[in-house]
Amino acid sequence: MPIYLYIDRRSAIHRLHPTVKVFALFVMFWSVYWVDHPLALLPLGVLMVALAQATGSWPNFYRLRWLFILLIFFTTLAWMVFYRRGPALIDLPIIHLSRASLVFGFGRGLKLAELLATSVLFLSTTKVEEFTAGLQRMGVPYRVGFAITLAFRLAPLFIDSALTVVQAQSLRGYDFDRGGPIARARRYVPVVIPVFMGALRKANNMAMALEARGFGIRAAPTSYIDFPLRPRDRLAFAIVAGIGVLYFAIYYFGYGAIAVS
Amino acid sequence: MAARSGTPFARADATAQTATPDGAARAGAPVAALEEVTFAYAGTERRALDGVTLKLWRGETIGVMGASGAGKSTLAKCLNRIVPAFEDGDFRGRVAIGGRAIDGSPVSELAPRVGMVFQDFEAQLFSTNVAHEVAFAMEQAGLAREEIAARIGPALEAVGLKGFDDRDPTSLSGGEKQRLAIASVLALRPDLIVLDEPTTDLDPEGRAEVFALIRRLREEGRTLLVIEHEAEELRGCDRIAILRDGAIVAEGEPASVMGRLALLEASGVHPPDLNRLLGMLEIHEHAESIDHAEALIRAHFPQLPRVERSESEAAGMVAEIRAGARTDTAAARPEPIAQLERVSYSYPFGPRVLDTVDLAIAPGEFVAVIGQNGSGKTTLAKHLVGLLQPETGRVLVAGRDRAGLAPAATAREVGYVFQNPDHQIFAATVEEEIAFGPRNLGLDSGEIGRRVAEVLGAVNLGAMRGSDPFLLSKGERQRLAVASVLALRPRLLILDEPTTGLDYREQRKMMALVRELNREGIAIMIITHTPWLVAEFAQRAVLMRRGRVLFDGAVREIFTHEDLLAGSSFRMPEATALARRFGFVALSPAELAARIRESA
Repeated sequence: MPIYLYIDRRSAIHRLHPTVKVFALFVMFWSVYWVDHPLALLPLGVLMVALAQATGSWPNFYRLRWLFILLIFFTTLAWMVFYRRGPALIDLPIIHLSRASLVFGFGRGLKLAELLATSVLFLSTTKVEEFTAGLQRMGVPYRVGFAITLAFRLAPLFIDSALTVVQAQSLRGYDFDRGGPIARARRYVPVVIPVFMGALRKANNMAMALEARGFGIRAAPTSYIDFPLRPRDRLAFAIVAGIGVLYFAIYYFGYGAIAVS
Repeated sequence: MAARSGTPFARADATAQTATPDGAARAGAPVAALEEVTFAYAGTERRALDGVTLKLWRGETIGVMGASGAGKSTLAKCLNRIVPAFEDGDFRGRVAIGGRAIDGSPVSELAPRVGMVFQDFEAQLFSTNVAHEVAFAMEQAGLAREEIAARIGPALEAVGLKGFDDRDPTSLSGGEKQRLAIASVLALRPDLIVLDEPTTDLDPEGRAEVFALIRRLREEGRTLLVIEHEAEELRGCDRIAILRDGAIVAEGEPASVMGRLALLEASGVHPPDLNRLLGMLEIHEHAESIDHAEALIRAHFPQLPRVERSESEAAGMVAEIRAGARTDTAAARPEPIAQLERVSYSYPFGPRVLDTVDLAIAPGEFVAVIGQNGSGKTTLAKHLVGLLQPETGRVLVAGRDRAGLAPAATAREVGYVFQNPDHQIFAATVEEEIAFGPRNLGLDSGEIGRRVAEVLGAVNLGAMRGSDPFLLSKGERQRLAVASVLALRPRLLILDEPTTGLDYREQRKMMALVRELNREGIAIMIITHTPWLVAEFAQRAVLMRRGRVLFDGAVREIFTHEDLLAGSSFRMPEATALARRFGFVALSPAELAARIRESA
């Protein structure tokens, strides 16, 4: 099973200039940030579904399906506890189930799911080299950009290692599900320590290998890949910027919020 | 050594220099030189390197061998200043590249002159496609885009990865990844290439690929320093250096070093089996190949039969083996501890990894599961312990269908030791680490104490019971991992490549432990790539290829099926291969020596 999210396709999104893709990532985050109402978030969700279809990113969404479902479900549930506005539809001791809390909670869940979906789409269509180049074009120093993108490469390796450690400890009879939330969190110590030690070792090996390959000889290395800015990149940039402006306008003019009666 | 050219990536100046083994014709400065280099890591008084002096001349290939901790990697890292730039410690002496001292040079600035390939191939690949990976070091060095593009193709061709430009490095096999790492070093055209145990984590096919490439690079006249545990692989080097406790204890041509069996053993190096065999037959010469060993033995024992290899000869051997087999593989076996019945499995979105596999492990058996990476060995083992559930078929443990059971539910029946001991070690002391499993089973403290004491003795870690596990050597950590599973008292112990990364001495120690456990009645299933280990220790072999069991029978018998082994890139031990030329099946040099003496 592949441990990285990038899916090698030749879709129009894959072929966009890296700077446009990094810009789109920020704009999508920005747009999702400004609105709360599920109806306002819905067009962005539809756009993401269309993009997932166009870029062939469904396998990644399928891999993370439970994360999406749990994120929406538990966020909705959690806001029924904390968002106690509007007339209660059902009166329960802790949960305040009202139309407002339901809409607000679902909106928050959708918001988080869309932030996750944006990231999945970005990583499904953007190579780390492109990510580095995109950041560099936006003024981020090469070393900083490389470090950020390296973290994206390392994360799946650490997750993979953590899964192996969980398996190894369960085979020694360890039950990760015993006790309440805090006790359960503490029960992950036998996972955290081996993963952390492994991560340190891997990071050290990687640092040596990087230096041994000349990393850091020059502040700005040359680039084998040429990223010419094409008309379609300009068009995509304009569309993405338009979405950002539109969503700010929705927020600015008071739409997209949840009205509480 | 006269330089030879051949591959498209041969150095332009490769033929300009010659160097004879005695050094008489060497002119100018050596490519690299260490002079009286001593290094002790911070916090320890022990010297990792102790007054090492070594010169590498242009076009030369030097093999460096020694036990774990002998100083091999430290020596390699001195050549591009990773030591002392990355490792705190007390460094003395002088290292020069091309005649110039490198004191104070940043590691990165030495990259165009000293290329380094590490053991951990995952940690040295940074890109999402093969061409970018090769380009990476050239980008860092500031080469123009056109120049980078011009060098990528030849570098990939030189390592046999032509046409792989757009592949994701993570999708490559271990051998391909390591060859890619070599390509990315080659593209910078360094004066010296250092390979630090480049095949330790590879399967036999990957090892063969990398060593074939090293031989090719040597023929091109490149200057190479190769660190390796297995002496057989370094027979083709111009010079061999043996390190022990940080010092060079032997240096010279392979013929002069590899015949010194006692010295090699004392240094923790696996002497070539052919030389061990010759030593047992009191033929004090170095065998360069199986052909050479055969000729030497025939010269001393002319009455030995000459066997034409044919199907009828192989069938005769099989019949002989079956007549006196140590293991009956099918009939009259007791109730299996664990069993797979027509099990098939695929990972999500992946191809079929297990394909209608039938396998049963009986009490007291010692089974070796062999096959290339990706053949389904580990997937099979994970089904036995319940980490994976079959798509079709069923898994029985102690006669019970394990469907729906958590992995921990059968921990008392089947134990699994992961390949990397660091995937399970977390406790503050050795004792606590071992006690972890029994405590999870809810045993009382008296019983836990008894079990800990028992397994500490079994794995010979009694003196270290209070030590921090993270400070143990790799071999000790591996034994600790075994101990921590043994404390659950499983009837079947599965070990996934337990000797990977261990030196010869540690491998022997680990296998002696496993054999002892087997003698005490624990069934063993070992997943391994190491031919001599299968030959010397296992009774039954299971050969897997593409998710299917191709062979399941006595170890002696599998070594008569050359075609099957070759198809799985599993090389039989040299002593076993040589034995076949005399019409014997022998699993170790000692056994072959005895058969030769009997026949003589």
